[in-house]
Amino acid sequence: MSQSSGKVKAGQLWSKNKDELTKQLGELKTELGQLRIQKIVSSGTKLTKIHDIRKSIARVLTVINAKQRAQLRLFYKDKKYLPLDLRAKQTRAIRRRLSAEDASRVLEKTKKRQTHFPQRKFAVKNQQIALSHCVTAMVDWKPLTSNLEREGQHHEPLQHRAIMSADPLQALADAGQGKSTRSVLRVLILTLIAGAAISSRLFSVIRFESIIHEFDPWFNFRATKYLVANGFYNFWDWFDDRTWHPLGRVTGGTLYPGLMVTSGAIYHALRALTIPVDIRNICVLLAPAFSGLTAIAAYLLTNEMTPSSSAGLLAALFMGITPGYISRSVAGSYDNEAIAIFLLVFTFYLWIKALKQGSMLWGALCALFYGYMVASWGGYAFITCLLPLHSFVLICMGRYSTRLYVAYTTWYALGTLASMQIPFVGFLPVKTSEHMPALGIFGFLQLLAFLDYVRSTIPSRQFQTFLWLFAGGTFGIGLLGLVIATSAGFIAPWSGRFYSLWDTGYAKIHIPIIASVSEHQPTAWPAFFFDLNMLIWLFPVGVYLCFQHLADEHVFIVVYALFGSYFAGVMVRLMLTLTPVVCVAAAIAISTLLDTYLNAKTPKPEDHQAAKEGSDGKKGKAGLKSSDKPVVGVYAIWGKSLMVSALAVYLLLFVLHCTWVTSNAYSSPSVVLASRLPDGSQHIIDDYREAYQWLRQNTREDAKIMSWWDYGYQIGGMADRPTLVDNNTWNNTHIATVGKAMSSSEEVSYPIMRQHEVDYVLVVFGGLLGYSGDDINKFLWMVRIAEGIWPDEVSERAFFTPRGEYRVDGEATETMKNSLMYKMSYYNYNNLFPPGQAADRMRGARLPEVGPTLSTMEEAFTSENWIIRIYKVKDLDNLGRDHMAAAAFDRGQKKKKSASKKKVPRVLRVE
Amino acid sequence: MKTSGVFSALLSLLSLASAASSKSSSSSSTTLPSTFRPPQVFKNANLVHIISVEKNYVKENVNVLVQNIDKEAQDEYFVPFTADQLSRLGGVEVKDRKDSSAGPFVAEVVEFDKDSDIQYLRIRLPNALAPGAQRTLGISYYLLKAYNPLPASIKQEEKQYLSFPFSAYWLSAYDTTKQKTEVKFPSGAILDYTKLPGSGDVEEFPQKKLTYGPFDEKPAGATEPVSVRFEFNKPVTHVSELERDIEVSHWGGNVAFEERYTLHHRGANLSSLFNRVKWQQSQYYQPNSHALKELKFPLRPGSADPYYTDVIGNVSTSKFRSNKREALLEVKPRYPLFGGWKYPFTIGWNSDASHFLRKTAAGGFVLNVPFLEGPKQAEGVEYEQVQIRVILPEGAENVQYHTSIPTQSITSTSVGVHKTFLDTIGRTALIIKARNLVDDFRDRDLVITYDYPLAAALRKPLIVFGSAVAVFVSAWLVGNLELKFDAKKK
Repeated sequence: MSQSSGKVKAGQLWSKNKDELTKQLGELKTELGQLRIQKIVSSGTKLTKIHDIRKSIARVLTVINAKQRAQLRLFYKDKKYLPLDLRAKQTRAIRRRLSAEDASRVLEKTKKRQTHFPQRKFAVKNQQIALSHCVTAMVDWKPLTSNLEREGQHHEPLQHRAIMSADPLQALADAGQGKSTRSVLRVLILTLIAGAAISSRLFSVIRFESIIHEFDPWFNFRATKYLVANGFYNFWDWFDDRTWHPLGRVTGGTLYPGLMVTSGAIYHALRALTIPVDIRNICVLLAPAFSGLTAIAAYLLTNEMTPSSSAGLLAALFMGITPGYISRSVAGSYDNEAIAIFLLVFTFYLWIKALKQGSMLWGALCALFYGYMVASWGGYAFITCLLPLHSFVLICMGRYSTRLYVAYTTWYALGTLASMQIPFVGFLPVKTSEHMPALGIFGFLQLLAFLDYVRSTIPSRQFQTFLWLFAGGTFGIGLLGLVIATSAGFIAPWSGRFYSLWDTGYAKIHIPIIASVSEHQPTAWPAFFFDLNMLIWLFPVGVYLCFQHLADEHVFIVVYALFGSYFAGVMVRLMLTLTPVVCVAAAIAISTLLDTYLNAKTPKPEDHQAAKEGSDGKKGKAGLKSSDKPVVGVYAIWGKSLMVSALAVYLLLFVLHCTWVTSNAYSSPSVVLASRLPDGSQHIIDDYREAYQWLRQNTREDAKIMSWWDYGYQIGGMADRPTLVDNNTWNNTHIATVGKAMSSSEEVSYPIMRQHEVDYVLVVFGGLLGYSGDDINKFLWMVRIAEGIWPDEVSERAFFTPRGEYRVDGEATETMKNSLMYKMSYYNYNNLFPPGQAADRMRGARLPEVGPTLSTMEEAFTSENWIIRIYKVKDLDNLGRDHMAAAAFDRGQKKKKSASKKKVPRVLRVE
Repeated sequence: MKTSGVFSALLSLLSLASAASSKSSSSSSTTLPSTFRPPQVFKNANLVHIISVEKNYVKENVNVLVQNIDKEAQDEYFVPFTADQLSRLGGVEVKDRKDSSAGPFVAEVVEFDKDSDIQYLRIRLPNALAPGAQRTLGISYYLLKAYNPLPASIKQEEKQYLSFPFSAYWLSAYDTTKQKTEVKFPSGAILDYTKLPGSGDVEEFPQKKLTYGPFDEKPAGATEPVSVRFEFNKPVTHVSELERDIEVSHWGGNVAFEERYTLHHRGANLSSLFNRVKWQQSQYYQPNSHALKELKFPLRPGSADPYYTDVIGNVSTSKFRSNKREALLEVKPRYPLFGGWKYPFTIGWNSDASHFLRKTAAGGFVLNVPFLEGPKQAEGVEYEQVQIRVILPEGAENVQYHTSIPTQSITSTSVGVHKTFLDTIGRTALIIKARNLVDDFRDRDLVITYDYPLAAALRKPLIVFGSAVAVFVSAWLVGNLELKFDAKKK
């Protein structure tokens, strides 16, 4: 078969069918056989062909085999089982593996566990959060842990960004080689910072719900709802007869409307954009949104101080997450401060801008935002005092300029006019002492401008005498005018709250109501560290760095720092006003450090020399000794890296601290209490709302509720019932009346309650749950405030045992045991326990076996955990008896004849 | 969109598809002269009146064999009610007891003299009854607010008793030859009942049943006031108003439900005010109480993200159990609800649209949702006013609906516009108002058909995109404006 001597190509074989292939195979085999024979017979020339034939046979066999298998595969395609040799070989382990179906099988028990205790997932509602990974990471772990280490892991991205904002930014910008790249990056970073600021304030929304917090925000919320429902003009003229019964409150004229108007405007704007968001959600999220703006304002303000834009970004970041500011701006903390801090920082920015440029436009803008600030928060006085002080310091430093004149007069004239538009402020800017510095500096600047003009026109010797005469005369007339105006009453004397700013002991002695508020207490030292962490030690460094340049704007920071520190030390609440300057100063400090140390280039000695020579030329400038020498840079790489990594660690710790504080200290709504069940799941103690809802649904629409003033706003907001006193505290006597009713015996309290048409009395009792913020713990303040008005009838001493203890158990004084508050708190409480076992878990006291009796009121409602107890004041007795006798009769006690004869039934002054 | 209002009028009264087209013209109640008396053309040959007071509403079943005694064929049968009863009457259904295929007959209130104490309900027989012929009617209806607690105020731990006054003879516009009244009770504890002399007042206490009659021939309009008083130590739950919103989203593939309840307890008031100690103790010793502690909402399987709030925010005392077979929402009021107390609240949940929404071959959409999905309580729940609002997507038109709720209970329907997130012309909303319903109607369906063209579906994304572009363009234009006075010299 010599004709088939050519090699067989596999490609040609595929087209052949089986028969042809077998035929060819046979031919090839015979040829091979012949060749083998030839090999033995004779050493022919074709022996090399054996190899080719063998390969050809193999090819034909391969093709036959492949075709056969293909047919088999086709045959088994729809069969259940495949022969072993047709199955994929893979590895033994894979072949032995469970099928997907079997692997996904779950035990019935496991299934139940998964449905009942699924892994918790939390969704985030705010869009802004989607902005950055780090932020989502923050949100993810939020409700799960307070474990510091875990927080740390998740927090790294944020921290990296903090550092990135300083110098890798520079590197990146260098890579981009463009101004626009930088500004895009800057905008991006600022947006991220704003997003972080907002999302770090959402702990409470995610843990609980979108709810208004604490006490005052409930009033603001109620006022906002009124504004949205009734329009602006009705809001302006709002007389609220549901508070301070029977006096009422001219609410429209006694509040700062900025906050409500802001939310109302946002509400209507969103409505106009066909996004009807519930007003409650706007109120809850207003503070976080404005804190994002505050971060941007801090960036702008810092940029005015230093040419390094990294300082601005750092300041924005600090401002965004510092607990000192977060404390008043978490979601739901719908208080005036929520927008006021933004306005404060932004007004300062505009002031610096106006001062630097001497521009009337910026001055007018500053006045505009000052007016907004006045409309928003009573703390506007801080600006009113700080700007004149800054100007005064500048003048004293001999830095009077037309820029200062233009900026100040524009701000003062327009700002004062704007502030007087608020009914609550009215003519205060020209009447009260707090506003006098601003007016005084305004006049002083006019004089200076006048003198400046005179000096430019007359010779200098005459000017000297003119100056003396003029200055002396003006001072004399001014002082005289001030004295006369004060004594005649045109200028109001200093208010109590103002005195307490100078003398921290003042309030405690003279005005217990101011002292009773915890946020008016002097600041404890740890609070600074708690609220500001490392910023508090960077702050002096920043202020020192301001001294190095000491331009007009740096003077501002210095003055602000001094003032702010003092006030923050006097009142806890004013930590808020200090926070912005701390952030700015600390940012300046850190960015200076980073600018120095985070520089990859090692300076060369020649540059040093050159710089030295260069500086010798202009050595005329005075300054600190060390600053004589020119700045060269740092040589050692290890030094730089040590410094930078130390700073990185500090920044990291700062973020950790901020998140920890925010999460643990500032994110509780205080209306809702959270506790943990033994299995670790969250249990919500919702007694406040339970009781308020009961009041709202099941009492008369105009039923008057008497409670301590702390709960006034909440009752107004949630229970929607008239109250006697609330957190506005404008009428001390009325509050003292309530205090007297609470701290006196039933015989005294009942007439007071009848006179004030009280229907229900609400007390907060933490004895069962161990809740510390209850009325028995606040009781001494009620006693003190009442004693301030009725020293003869209420005495604080009578509530202490002879050994000076404040007790609630069997050893309590008779006055204590007979007081209405004590009776209402513990009435019926011992029935909850086995006889003799009743205990107050809050104060750790064993209570007497026989509980107090109440005759003039009856228990109306007690919440699930006994936190809120509501009593109904009984109406007059049908038979004309007094309540003591009627109650004794009901208990089955026989009236003692002798006693009853003497006693004439108490006549009530009830018309 | 504007045209959709036109359709509203047509759709007000469709009890079943078969009855729908022919009767729609006579749907509104006709006005009769004030001197109207039903003509004496029928006779009630036999009548069995079953009153069930087992739940906190009254269900009455009247099986009556009517006979035409007139010379002509008659097709209108009148049922009298007192004006007071009529205001509390709901869910009237009339059937032929012998012929279940005859379907519910149309029953409607006849409007005549407003001041008259007797008002009439007219039942239209689908085919007139020949003279002398007989037909068995099964009339069933519910009376709400039917009980008075007696004593009206009790202590927290005491048992609650209700009294129910009614007439031993069924008030009829026609002479009744023979009749019997049965009262079914929730428990055997019947404290009081009026004993009628002569007419064998047999009581079978083990069966929790009280029987009056049989009575012999009574003239039209005859009454015999009797009353029963029985133990009912369960809450008397009364929903004075239920607003139910069903929002369909095609883009989201979601149907969102929200229900706002105004819940009352109509039982005995507390004689002395709420005492927490006793309440906590009774939770262990005698868990049965007349206070309302919990409501259970069995939702359709597949329901998700439930919420339970009231006017001051989220209520944390709720449980939701959801799996393939069930979705049970258990809700506790903030406080236990006693007689005379009130608790308004809101619940809501989402569900996948595929459970309810289907596209028809003709290109329209069909939405099939439950008419009511209120709580399922052993003691029953009654609804005084119900408003169902089905919010269809923006641009949905040609809206038609059909439900098996008795027509007598549906007071009005309309198609309006509901404007909300990013709407330009507003969403089409079908509003159905009904009254005097009870939880027996939980399983009745509400079927809505509508057209939703593609152009309408694309409207919203286009408008949002367009306005965003407009904002950017205008911002760019404003940014390019030169507002400075001085020209740059360079």
